[in-house]
Amino acid sequence: MKEIQIPSGMRDILPGNSINKRHLQQKVEQIFHLYGYLPIETPLLEFYETYRSSFSRLEEDTLYKFVDENGQILVLRTDMTLPIARVCATRYSQEKPPFRFSYCSNVYKVRQSFAGKRNEVTDCGIELIGLDESSDLEVLNCALEVMAELSEDHYVLEIGNIRLFRRACDIAGIPEESAAVLSDLIDRKAMTEVKQMVDALNLREQEKEFFRRLPLFNGPDSLAEAAEYCFAEELLVEIEHLQCLQEQLCVLGNRDHITFDLGKVPHLEYYTGIIFEGYAQGISSAVLSGGRYDHLLAKLGRDLPAIGFGVKLDVPVPMVKDTLPEIQKVYYRRGEELQGILKARELRKRGPVTLIPEDTEADV
Amino acid sequence: MSLSIALTKGRLEKDAVELLDLCGYGTEKLKNKGRALVFEDTREDFRYFLVKANDCITYVEHGVADCGIVGKDTLMEGGSDYYELLDLKIGKCKFIIAGMKDHNPLTMSGNIRIGSKYPEAAKRYFLSRGLDAEMIRLEGSVELAPVLGLCDGIMDIMETGRTLKENGLVVYDTVCDISARVIVNKASFKIKRQEIMKFLTDMERAVERCSE
Repeated sequence: MKEIQIPSGMRDILPGNSINKRHLQQKVEQIFHLYGYLPIETPLLEFYETYRSSFSRLEEDTLYKFVDENGQILVLRTDMTLPIARVCATRYSQEKPPFRFSYCSNVYKVRQSFAGKRNEVTDCGIELIGLDESSDLEVLNCALEVMAELSEDHYVLEIGNIRLFRRACDIAGIPEESAAVLSDLIDRKAMTEVKQMVDALNLREQEKEFFRRLPLFNGPDSLAEAAEYCFAEELLVEIEHLQCLQEQLCVLGNRDHITFDLGKVPHLEYYTGIIFEGYAQGISSAVLSGGRYDHLLAKLGRDLPAIGFGVKLDVPVPMVKDTLPEIQKVYYRRGEELQGILKARELRKRGPVTLIPEDTEADV
Repeated sequence: MSLSIALTKGRLEKDAVELLDLCGYGTEKLKNKGRALVFEDTREDFRYFLVKANDCITYVEHGVADCGIVGKDTLMEGGSDYYELLDLKIGKCKFIIAGMKDHNPLTMSGNIRIGSKYPEAAKRYFLSRGLDAEMIRLEGSVELAPVLGLCDGIMDIMETGRTLKENGLVVYDTVCDISARVIVNKASFKIKRQEIMKFLTDMERAVERCSE
């Protein structure tokens, strides 16, 4: 017999997991609701052109592509940030910012086969568009509240700021092309390659030392350490900005749950300021991720600063034990369907009820 | 919190265990393996397990292992969702391009066919040289392929160069140096930072003592 399969990287989510996932979704969305974010939905399909013109380094092979009836190339959305930015830049082009949107939608990426990775995940998050860095604290605080809801006490939100690296490259005179390669090495903490590359660049010793150490400026006390190696006043300003955030987040009661990683410098062309990821004990990848992206909306036609984050709802789900609800059963004889329904109607006031014809149960 | 450490079986195993010894860890069980697959450290709160090189990356990416010890050759071929924090300077060798005498795949004209256990890494290398080569994936005895005419050249790791020489092959280029690295699961690095930093510092010291 021919087995019917589903495409690679896809997964059926059966009731036990589905109930847990919805439960998590409700908890997270309730937080977004209380922060004043309004829900939004966008199409599953976008034009390839929208993605191509918005990301200078688009990972082509991770996109699901199709062709529509007019020969235009379509893609399955890989994230919700771009579609929401598109909506803001077009449909809200005349409205006064800021805009606060929340979403919970499936996003798609083609990933390595047979690596146990998923190509379809549910992304649940927020975008705050039209406010500058003064809103960073509010968004971080919201992210911390979400983490607390997802994983009780064993979580940590790790914060970086990509501008520290960018400024350092500018001041040291590292060309754009090399900065992109270096950022990738630093982000992967590939220590040997970072050292090789930095040594080969034409830099002063003080600058080399800073870049070599950057991947290891992480942990709750890393800001003070990094400040010692900053080779310019402008870099210290960036550190002080983070120290200020740290103090404020501590005042808000997050002391044990925040840490810093100044070597967190992914997607240099996309992020422009703070960048953060949430990790929970027992989960082997980031549960939450986000950052500031002040250049994206300009590419879509309306120049507005923006920040956002998303939770990958499928990641924390396996941590929760399956909880199927208790369902009462009402049996009825053939020909007495009506009585059955009336009885069930009464019982449904107290919880879920299913109707079962008496003779089917006996057969099983 | 306890650490799980994936070690690569075979070529790197002995040197890696020696480094663990130099750190003062309790590796007795790793040395008298028997049929076991998972080994508890007798002094530290560590669990070791031995896996094939490619699987080492997979175990670390999924967080089943917090840390892994694996060759740079394997890392260049496989995924990249991990931190690569330390060069252990063991299992040293080179990635090289070789071919038959008077048949340099880097300067020949026409369609270039390259046999390799590392087709992805080889593809990237040829592209970086502006050459569009066709990759043929091989699983072992790579030196044999150009001799028998399956391909024009190979990209492989070379320790001494003896096997190549014995098969009449010439090295046409060195792609890069290879050695074993410590890779770390990204989430583990945040959640078990202290334990992992201690392990890395111990290992770094052991590497320094080895090179003295």
